[in-house]
Amino acid sequence: MKDTIGRIRNIGISAHIDSGKTTLTERILYYTRRIHAIHDVRGRDGVGATMDHMELEKERGITITSAATRVRWRDHAINIIDTPGHVDFTIEVERALRVLDGAVLILCAVAGVQSQSITVDRQMRRYRVPRIAFINKCDRSGANPEKVALQLRDKLGHTPVLLQLPVGLEADFSGVIDLVEMKLLRFEGAAGEQVVEGPIPPELLPRAEERRTEMLDVLSMYSDELMEAALEDRATPELIHEALRRGVRSLDLTPVLLGSAYKNRGVQPVLDAIVRYLPSPLDVRAEALDLDREEAPVELAPDPDAPTVALAFKLEDGRYGQLTYLRVYQGTLRRGDTLVNARSGRRIRIGRLVRIHADQMEDIDVAPAGDIVGLFGVDCRTGDTFCSPGTRLAMTSMHVPEPVVSLGIAPADAASQAKVARALARFAKEDPTFRVRQDEESGQTVISGMGELHLEVYVERMRREYGARVEVSPPEVAYRETVSRRSDFNYLHRKQTGGSGQYARVAGYIEPLEEGTYEFVDQIRGGAIPTEFIGSCDKGFRTAMEKGSLIGAPVTGVRVVINDGAAHAVDSSDMAFQAAARMAFREAYRRAAPRILEPLMRVSVEGPAEFQGAIYRSLMQRRGTILGSTEDGGFCRIEAEVPLGEMFGYATDLRSATQGKAEFTMEFARYAPVPPDVAERLLAERRTGAPVEEKR
Amino acid sequence: MTEQAIARLRRSPRRLLEKDGVPGAGPGSLSLVLARAGVGKTAFLVGIGLDALLAGQRVLHVTLDRTIDKVRDWYDDLLLELLRLEPEAPPAAELQLAVERRRHIHTFLGNSFSVDRLRTATEVLADHMDFRPEVLVVDRLDLDRVPREEIAALKAIAAGLGAELWMSCRTHREGPRPRPGHLPPPADRIEDLVDLAFRLEPEEDTVRLEVVEDRGELLARQTRIVLDPRRLLLRPGA
Repeated sequence: MKDTIGRIRNIGISAHIDSGKTTLTERILYYTRRIHAIHDVRGRDGVGATMDHMELEKERGITITSAATRVRWRDHAINIIDTPGHVDFTIEVERALRVLDGAVLILCAVAGVQSQSITVDRQMRRYRVPRIAFINKCDRSGANPEKVALQLRDKLGHTPVLLQLPVGLEADFSGVIDLVEMKLLRFEGAAGEQVVEGPIPPELLPRAEERRTEMLDVLSMYSDELMEAALEDRATPELIHEALRRGVRSLDLTPVLLGSAYKNRGVQPVLDAIVRYLPSPLDVRAEALDLDREEAPVELAPDPDAPTVALAFKLEDGRYGQLTYLRVYQGTLRRGDTLVNARSGRRIRIGRLVRIHADQMEDIDVAPAGDIVGLFGVDCRTGDTFCSPGTRLAMTSMHVPEPVVSLGIAPADAASQAKVARALARFAKEDPTFRVRQDEESGQTVISGMGELHLEVYVERMRREYGARVEVSPPEVAYRETVSRRSDFNYLHRKQTGGSGQYARVAGYIEPLEEGTYEFVDQIRGGAIPTEFIGSCDKGFRTAMEKGSLIGAPVTGVRVVINDGAAHAVDSSDMAFQAAARMAFREAYRRAAPRILEPLMRVSVEGPAEFQGAIYRSLMQRRGTILGSTEDGGFCRIEAEVPLGEMFGYATDLRSATQGKAEFTMEFARYAPVPPDVAERLLAERRTGAPVEEKR
Repeated sequence: MTEQAIARLRRSPRRLLEKDGVPGAGPGSLSLVLARAGVGKTAFLVGIGLDALLAGQRVLHVTLDRTIDKVRDWYDDLLLELLRLEPEAPPAAELQLAVERRRHIHTFLGNSFSVDRLRTATEVLADHMDFRPEVLVVDRLDLDRVPREEIAALKAIAAGLGAELWMSCRTHREGPRPRPGHLPPPADRIEDLVDLAFRLEPEEDTVRLEVVEDRGELLARQTRIVLDPRRLLLRPGA
């Protein structure tokens, strides 16, 4: 069984959008005989690429959800997670990386290292995922794979090792020279399925030898044996592979392969490199937290006979109910076995266990440690860990970024109400970066996510998959009001209109409270207000603070002190004192120089240092206060505080200001007074009941 | 917030130095604070920076291998400490905001620092944010490793900006002893570039400030200023 685990590769394919991930995956499926025809990623042939299994993805030509598939190549099992390339869906990438042991980073031979490659590479480094690079689209006009290999070094800080040389480029790209075996590889047959080996053409030999020497120089650093052999001119492919394997697994080296997936050239060597250089589950250290020992870390062994530990890293709602994608870290999953969900403590029975091939599946009975499989009929959340009974281990929690964009949504008709609710519950369960909440003040349903496109896709899915009609509106910023100076009150509430009257007098002052929302101080001496009505006063003030008189926002940061008052033996009541307190507050509030507060977000923008100026400008234009900047290698991070109301549309603006190379996160920082022009606009909106155009 | 209230807050440290007969060396000058590790160089520099900010000047605080938040906390803590001592203190939040608008923290992580990069950063700040500092604080630069020419270039950047340059210099308990008539190593390599140099000397329960160079003249004169090591506040000594 150990041997079997050693022959598993769990890999991801990641890159910038439109670099050809889906095309490469499609070719891999074809060459490994999982599919029998190749489709176009854009769905021009009406079928669509096999990994893009959602209708929406087919239409947009982008991959949104990770689909897992298993292929066999040279007696190895390769589980491929096709990861999305768009910046808004990085959680998908991150979730995939969490369960992967290695990855193929695809780069475009024309566009080179692009923003998303930078982001994805940073994520891979964070999860210590060894990678190999495939420079795709060598057949395109302007292709320059050697320049791209240098960018791997300069922009991503890799040590790239070019394992191949292109034979021809652009329209003349016809194959590659394998610098390890020193032979020519051509890809023949209707779909490039026949790899034909041959001698290196004499005119290319000097350059190939030069490049091979360069390759050996780099690799010699990782193997003394290879160094000696290279000096004596007897470096064998085995020694080279071994040095590469070592360098890749320690994340020191990135082997670089070339090709054109679309033209069916160079894909098989990528499969060879996956099984040769990327680690198996046996080579990778996995850790869990022991919930019975205060989350002490426990190293997991990829031993099929040990207690089972498996992580649910993705959920999908399919024809047969919830499909849970699991990575088995330890032990074995067997049909009919019982496992425990470490989070909820609920026991589950393994019913239907499947291997997933995009939207087709194959039933299996057993999945050993190291494998990635699908499970039906289990109710769980993404990130849940399943263990053998008697073990309570949780896989280290996955890094989940906080959502940065929110939208208000509402069902457009009564029929859509239930559909929307069902869809929202499903999405929130599938995607930890998608959040749903009910805005307490507006009563609106607010969805939050990692970007506008992220949310748009969910709104679109509600329409298409659930048939719901949804209206989308920008969310309202949660403004507050406060006082900026002390103001006294002395209010008498008296009503005598027959029957029992109402009588209450409260006196005191309100003043700004530095920390906290509200403080009530009772300084009544001598029973001017009877003790039983002190609580009524408190309640009255709280009620008055629910809506400030400026724009109707809740009032915060106020200390209320009562120091005098009066009561009537018959006419005073709880209601009378509450009313007196409410009116007293309103009276004092007007004179306390009230102000409108807006939420400030702590915004952190990260991108290549050359965009520092553009990032500053983008934040300043949004009334941001720059707190500082950090330089780290070729990257910079700018920290700022920006009003939430100014942040809508920022993702799009930032992307266009930085060619999509910068990304940002934001979190609530504090409330601060709005500048006079904004206050004026908000007051006008309150008066007219309609939005007033903002001057920027 | 009145000018007087702010003036009262400005009890440290350039004003104290002025009173002590050590006026600032002015735009384009280099002032150095020398001390062993952990004695209070950063506290001193933050004190200088905050003093300039409260006087309405713009400050660029550059540091190595520290996060923005860490530096921000230094300023906030010191400001709150000053406000605590001022009976009619203006609201902290208001003052903090005013300080933040005039201050920019720029940190370099790993081996990112170079004088060229700093020059680029100052140019970007000027071009895109219209931010031209009057005080440039550079903390945690390892003078054992930075070539003399780099410090000269740094001083030239400050001169170009019309800013006072304040830097920290870590001295060593062990290693070469100071040569008579020179600043202690490693500051001796750049002493001709230095206009003012101070040394922080820890004593039993306080840290005393000494002037060791004043515009070319080497001294070992004690000032009446001490650094309160608990509150990291510069104040008049006994």
